[in-house]
Amino acid sequence: MNARTTLFSSIAASTLALLSGVAQAAPVKIAVLESLSGPQASTGQAYRAAVRYAVDKLNAAGGWNGQPVQLVDYDNQGGPAGASDKLKAAAADGVQIVVQGGSSAIGGQITEDVRKHNLRNPGHEILYINVGAEASELTGEKCNFYHFRFAANAPVRVKALVQGMKQAKALGSKVYSINQNYSWGQDMEKAIVDYAAAGGYTVVEKTLHDVNKIQDFSPYVAKISASGADTVMTGNWSNDLLLLMKASKAAGLKVRFGTVYLDQAGNIANAGEQAVGHFVAQAFNAEAAGAEGERFVADYKAKTGHLPIATEPQTVFGLEMVADALKRTKPESNGSLNIVALARNLETTKLKTPMGELSMRAADHQVLLPIVVSMVSKDAKYKADDTDLGFKPVKTFTAEEAASPAQASCKMLRPS
Amino acid sequence: MDAFVFSLLNGLVYGLLLFMVSAGLTLVFGMMGVLNFAHASFYMLGAYFSFALQGLLGFGPAVVVATLLSGLVGVIVERFFLRRVHAHGHAHELLLTFGLSFIIAEAIKLFFGNFPVDYRIPASLDFTAFRIGAQSYPAYRVLMAVVALAMFGALYLLLTRTRIGIIVRAAIHKPRMAQALGHNVQLVFMGVFGVGAALAGLAGAVAGAFYTTNPNMALEVGVMVFVVVVVGGLGSLGGAMLASLLIGVVTSLAVSVDRSLADLLGFVGAQAWAENIGGLMTLKVSSLAATLPFMLMLLILLVRPRGLMGEKN
Amino acid sequence: MLLAALPALLPAGLLIASNQMLVAALFASAYSLLSGRAGMLSFGHAAYFGIGAFATVHAMNAVGGAGLLPTPLMPLIGAAAGLAVGIVAGWFATQRSGTTFAMITLAIAELLHALAPQLKSLFGGESGISAMRMPAWGLDFGSTTQVYYLTLCWVLLSLALLYFHGLTPAGRLTLALRENGHRLRFLGYNVHGLGVSAFAISAMFSGLAGGLQALSNEAANYAVFDAGVSASVVLNSYIGGVGSFFGPALGAALMSFFGYAVSDITQSWMLYQGVLFVGVMMFAPAGVSGLLGSGSRLFAQRGWKLALPVTLLAVCAALLLSAGGVFIVEMLQRLCSQDYRAMAQAAAKLPTIALFGRAWSPGSVLTWALPVALLVLGAVLALAARRRLGANA
Repeated sequence: MNARTTLFSSIAASTLALLSGVAQAAPVKIAVLESLSGPQASTGQAYRAAVRYAVDKLNAAGGWNGQPVQLVDYDNQGGPAGASDKLKAAAADGVQIVVQGGSSAIGGQITEDVRKHNLRNPGHEILYINVGAEASELTGEKCNFYHFRFAANAPVRVKALVQGMKQAKALGSKVYSINQNYSWGQDMEKAIVDYAAAGGYTVVEKTLHDVNKIQDFSPYVAKISASGADTVMTGNWSNDLLLLMKASKAAGLKVRFGTVYLDQAGNIANAGEQAVGHFVAQAFNAEAAGAEGERFVADYKAKTGHLPIATEPQTVFGLEMVADALKRTKPESNGSLNIVALARNLETTKLKTPMGELSMRAADHQVLLPIVVSMVSKDAKYKADDTDLGFKPVKTFTAEEAASPAQASCKMLRPS
Repeated sequence: MDAFVFSLLNGLVYGLLLFMVSAGLTLVFGMMGVLNFAHASFYMLGAYFSFALQGLLGFGPAVVVATLLSGLVGVIVERFFLRRVHAHGHAHELLLTFGLSFIIAEAIKLFFGNFPVDYRIPASLDFTAFRIGAQSYPAYRVLMAVVALAMFGALYLLLTRTRIGIIVRAAIHKPRMAQALGHNVQLVFMGVFGVGAALAGLAGAVAGAFYTTNPNMALEVGVMVFVVVVVGGLGSLGGAMLASLLIGVVTSLAVSVDRSLADLLGFVGAQAWAENIGGLMTLKVSSLAATLPFMLMLLILLVRPRGLMGEKN
Repeated sequence: MLLAALPALLPAGLLIASNQMLVAALFASAYSLLSGRAGMLSFGHAAYFGIGAFATVHAMNAVGGAGLLPTPLMPLIGAAAGLAVGIVAGWFATQRSGTTFAMITLAIAELLHALAPQLKSLFGGESGISAMRMPAWGLDFGSTTQVYYLTLCWVLLSLALLYFHGLTPAGRLTLALRENGHRLRFLGYNVHGLGVSAFAISAMFSGLAGGLQALSNEAANYAVFDAGVSASVVLNSYIGGVGSFFGPALGAALMSFFGYAVSDITQSWMLYQGVLFVGVMMFAPAGVSGLLGSGSRLFAQRGWKLALPVTLLAVCAALLLSAGGVFIVEMLQRLCSQDYRAMAQAAAKLPTIALFGRAWSPGSVLTWALPVALLVLGAVLALAARRRLGANA
């Protein structure tokens, strides 16, 4: 045979091979779309580590349809516009499940893009697994059938925090609410006000400040002091939380802090002694999770090199729920994964975790998860950030106890 | 009244911190016409150097060495990078410093990680200086203010009373003439740049312990420093001091003002109408605290472009 | 022609990148009208880009979601908004020149950036405003390919208009603005008016570019006013080279592609980007187009025998230096990462690091000798290239 014939026959052979391979179908691709560089890189990388752990566990148990699940990362280049582009790229690469949690702003963009993509491409839907964007609107006005949130939200956190602090007799009668001026902070403010009656406190003043722009919190500390509050409740995270606490310590302010994000990496190391006695509403606390929790923590540390903190456990549990739903979803005739079927299975998923049972609420795709309220203290079993301080659990709320009702603004359009 | 005094003091100290960082920038800007985007990076470098050395040398010596190291980096930047690009014009110098700021920030992230690092005030300095009403004023803040004022004093004396100072000022206003008179203007440039970087490094080493030390420090302080330099007048040390204090106090006091334009219009009976319009009308001054410096900057640029104390071009 | 055929050739992922590149190219060309031709360095051009984006999104949402204009004409709204704001801002800004002008533009952009999250009805808070492209003229604009063609048409049209503007008397006068504004005033021309017109036209095309991005992303977010966006358009223009018409567009396309592609490959891509900026500013001040220009001049003037080896040496040198540098940076990144440090503390000796498909031990000399060797070789080649160039002068 001459060269040309060889070429033609090899092309024909490979095309045949390709066509026959289609029946086997490509493996399921899960993408992590996060800020993996730039100012918010630390949060994005934490999410990626947690997702990788969960996917490895899924593949160790056999993957799906006899093939391992593939994990790909996409860097959103720092903002919603980059996230939108990378989402389109992921769709083009055949990704069927997108995981994100680092920012409610980006979460808002992704959920809208996913909805539009699914409208335009029936049969090639994408699922959005939200493991950390806690703004209420994502299960409110922006709720959509293909979005599932595996993290808490402001009312859930505040409800638990209020009841936990009250039980520990740490909740005063005058609460100062200080939050960041964007959807999450505004949700927190509303929740703090809503639970005032249940918590038996009055909100003496509410403040919203610019996000991550303020270096000097002493003017706000002055306001807190002038208001006579004995408790400060805040949903602030990273610098905004640290600087607020440092400024209040510097001014000698005697207040108790009730927070949501005190357990982020680096916070305790930086705050040091002044963090003792403050409260945080967590989705996971290794000490509260018993022997099962110990096993989970040890395994996580062995595989990733660090303890699972802050948003990592909820990410792992969320992905485990997805894995459970995947197990119950049979492949199509051509071997591919039907996302609508997976979504329907995900709606009815329940998972037993070391913290308690998690279940998905079908009405708004918000997970019902246990919340533990902890206090920073020296005699916690697990220390944070290589210091001698840790989070000692005060009260654990089951998923039912912690749950907050679905919002009326969610009008979910379901596929028939 | 207590709250007002407290806010005023806080504003002054914050302003002094801004001065520490912007003193170097305004001198460099005035002298070389270079808008150094990497200046805030020297601030960050100072904090990180001091953090890295704190364990070995103790707080005080670490701060001093960090300052010197930042100055050294500044000298290297000027000698090997800026000088090469000088001939191609201001835009290139500026873009070069912008690229350098990226490199410095990313290099810090490479070595120290993305999270804030545990750079704290040493226990010996961590006490209360005095109390105002119910609030206590930390001694470290007073220390920061003292360092800033000392810096201002030293620079002012250096520039006005010493021979070097005269040469530097001549190089700022008329570099070619100074060169023609036989002074080594290149060395002066390098020296001023180095000193500017060292001062920013000192500010970082001192402030990083009080605020947080993280890889985004440069971004947080960077833009504000430009506002200070523009409002104060390019090249004017006194202007930089005045502008930093002004911005510090305004930002601090604005936080306690919970009024908006609608409330102001209430004086003429138009409050309900303004509240109906919403948007800009109902924005509280306290939420705009971080925006006010930019408004000030725009105002100054339009009305008095040479800044509060700058020279007329 | 190549650009038109791209959708057929490229995989969908790169098509999205091409869309981004086209928008960035238009933005950079609009910017360089002001900075390159009129000589007015603006640091706040993101403002007009962003205004165009928001105006377009609001127009898409208008009339109950049906859109104010048919989808292909939407960018006109962005252009109009950019023009309107550009006239106002330009009137104020062009009263001053030089650094003051730059600072005014920066202040305007930063003010907008700081105010935008507060004005929720206009700018939609931190999740922005989203819209949906409506079908028009028989096409549904659902697929990336159709959006790409739409963007391509608009960008080509705008670039052509910008080019022809340069040939008109008004365009010529803007060049004169850069060269000698004083003289122009003495010659009787209304310098301020000229400045405003240059600013406004630049803002108009920036707004158009913003509109195209909003159309493609179907959303606009106040992050578009960030100082980083203004800074990147300045950088892209200068990296491409403001001396030629297509320079900025080329620079924008390259850097946009770089960000898109490299951000998924390595975590340190911003470091590489910074090194690229610094490298271009120092060694290729006329930008990439300047490099290409001098390269072609080299071939034309000195002939093949000299030019080809020099070019090859230079390219090899660049590749080797980059390879050595990248290796060191990637190794350091993994070495200094939290996870590795935890593993190293637990293990007896330093664990190996997997890079480029092989495992390297940080303790061994070979691991570090390799990149150093690459760097040295690259430097040697670069010197050789320079010597050759100089020797046959």
